Amino acid sequence: MTFRKISIAFSLATFGIYALLILSLFYFFRGETLWDTLRSERTLFSIRLSIVAATISTLLSVLIAIPSAFALSRYDFPGKRAVDTILELPMIVSPAALGAMLLIFFNNPVGLWIQDHGTQFVFTFYGIVLAQFLTVCGVTTRLIKAAMDEIPCRYEAVARTLGASPWRAFVTITLPLSKRGIYAALILSWAKALGEFGATITIAGSMAMKTETLPIAIFMRLSSAEIEGSVILILILVSIGLSILYIVRLISSGASYA
Amino acid sequence: MLEIANLSVQAGSFVLSNVSLKVLPSSCHVILGPTGSGKTLLLESVIGLRDPKEGKIVLEHRDITGLPMEKRKLSYVPQDLALFPHMTVRENILYPLKIRGAHQDTETGIVRELIDSLTIRSLLDRRIANLSGGERQRTALVRAILSGGKYLVLDEPLSALHESLKTELRYLLKDLKRRYDLAILMVTHDLEEAFFLGDTISVIMDGKLLQQGEKREVYRRPHSEEVARFLGISNIFRGKIESINDDSLAVRCEGLGVTLALSSQLPKLIVRPNEDVIFGIRSEDVLILTSGEFMSRATNIINGTVIDHFDTGASHVVIASCGSGSKNIEITLHSTAAKELNLAAGQPILVKAPKESLFLIVPPV
Repeated sequence: MTFRKISIAFSLATFGIYALLILSLFYFFRGETLWDTLRSERTLFSIRLSIVAATISTLLSVLIAIPSAFALSRYDFPGKRAVDTILELPMIVSPAALGAMLLIFFNNPVGLWIQDHGTQFVFTFYGIVLAQFLTVCGVTTRLIKAAMDEIPCRYEAVARTLGASPWRAFVTITLPLSKRGIYAALILSWAKALGEFGATITIAGSMAMKTETLPIAIFMRLSSAEIEGSVILILILVSIGLSILYIVRLISSGASYA
Repeated sequence: MLEIANLSVQAGSFVLSNVSLKVLPSSCHVILGPTGSGKTLLLESVIGLRDPKEGKIVLEHRDITGLPMEKRKLSYVPQDLALFPHMTVRENILYPLKIRGAHQDTETGIVRELIDSLTIRSLLDRRIANLSGGERQRTALVRAILSGGKYLVLDEPLSALHESLKTELRYLLKDLKRRYDLAILMVTHDLEEAFFLGDTISVIMDGKLLQQGEKREVYRRPHSEEVARFLGISNIFRGKIESINDDSLAVRCEGLGVTLALSSQLPKLIVRPNEDVIFGIRSEDVLILTSGEFMSRATNIINGTVIDHFDTGASHVVIASCGSGSKNIEITLHSTAAKELNLAAGQPILVKAPKESLFLIVPPV
């Protein structure tokens, strides 16, 4: 067997494992459950809550990630290495631990003060947004930085010698050139936020019709042995996720400027 | 005038030290040096992309050393041209006008004139990725000129082009400089390009400015062996001064007596009898004499033997041994002359090194 065949076999095996997992869902698939689940107010609330929270948290993280990715990509500054390292925190700490850290923070004097004088985060919609934001912000920054690293600094330098201020050079040159990377980061972050579970349940709990996102709803149905209902919710989540990834592929495979 | 005074820049472990030069209005100053000598680093400091460690940059009596790039009024064209790939040619060339909030019209004024004289009208709606090397170069030049600065800073402007395009663009650059009264500071490692475009030349090697001056002076009188070799002078010899007269000096080299003309650039006081010296001659200045010419050109005629010869197309390079034979001399002949001489390896020849073409390689006084 040639090396080519062996490597292709491994890649097909990987696909097979995931495909098998998805196909196995259909063992418990019931048509009437699909209809009942989709008509259920609680399911629709979970879908709506998940989409709204994921959209807000993703937009917030992109807004913060764009300038910070630019700074990390273009400038040297004290603490740059520390910032760069901490972006990996959500990847190395389990989501549950991240949620626990949030919960602990909001039980500290600073956190308590924020809750008393600002917004309630624990067991609220804002807690979901915060948990998702913290989970995806590092990844969003990392992805946008990678897109900006690809753009030679000389474009901005030339724009500035042509009269553009640093801000105009950023808006007219860097942003349009990293547009594709920013879209990809936005969509991938949104998909990740949509599927976020550990941090969300730790900080926001699992209150039906209040903080029950789609992943939490799946967990709750499994806990009460509602396998068929869980299957429908998992299929909804998988469909949304795969559609998103397909769109990302379409965006990244478009013609490049180079 | 653009004046760079005692500029030192550091990039990692590389240091460009103590560079001073002037670019006069309407002139072209070329910074010549091999790859990695610090030429681009110098340009990047001039345009404001890098902060110098020491020194200052003065543009028309205004210290611009600490100014941001957009306030320096220097139009920069980097080696890769940095044409904005997400814009069309039209958007690229109008970019400086858009930034200034000026009227953006390709049908009037200097914009129209530049578009037509650089023949880019048919390219205006094209994307950068669809342009050839020469088209990109012309677009970058139009954009730089439209930024309004009178000083163009060019980093290896023609390095990516093939020979015929290079020649075309050299003429174009000369024409643009004259027509729009531009001053140019450019770097290159291409000797032909440097001497074609430059009015004054600075030679930079290993982060140090080794020589600068008017281009004929740099071409004819390199100040060090290092510069001479970089400038393509292969005939470099060591000898001892025997005597100094009013208009010449006699040098003994490898048992042969050679006479060098003293010029205004080479005052007598910098050399003394019995002093060891290095001298050289460009290969194209060395002559091979036919016997009939012998009597009329009696100075610096040496018996030699052809070791090898190579046809390089337009010219012919002859390697000959002279004197005791330990040092060879390179002679570049026009192909027609070489054909008439009908040279062959081992053939004895008479080599003439005109005293006016021989030069001492000595630091300036």
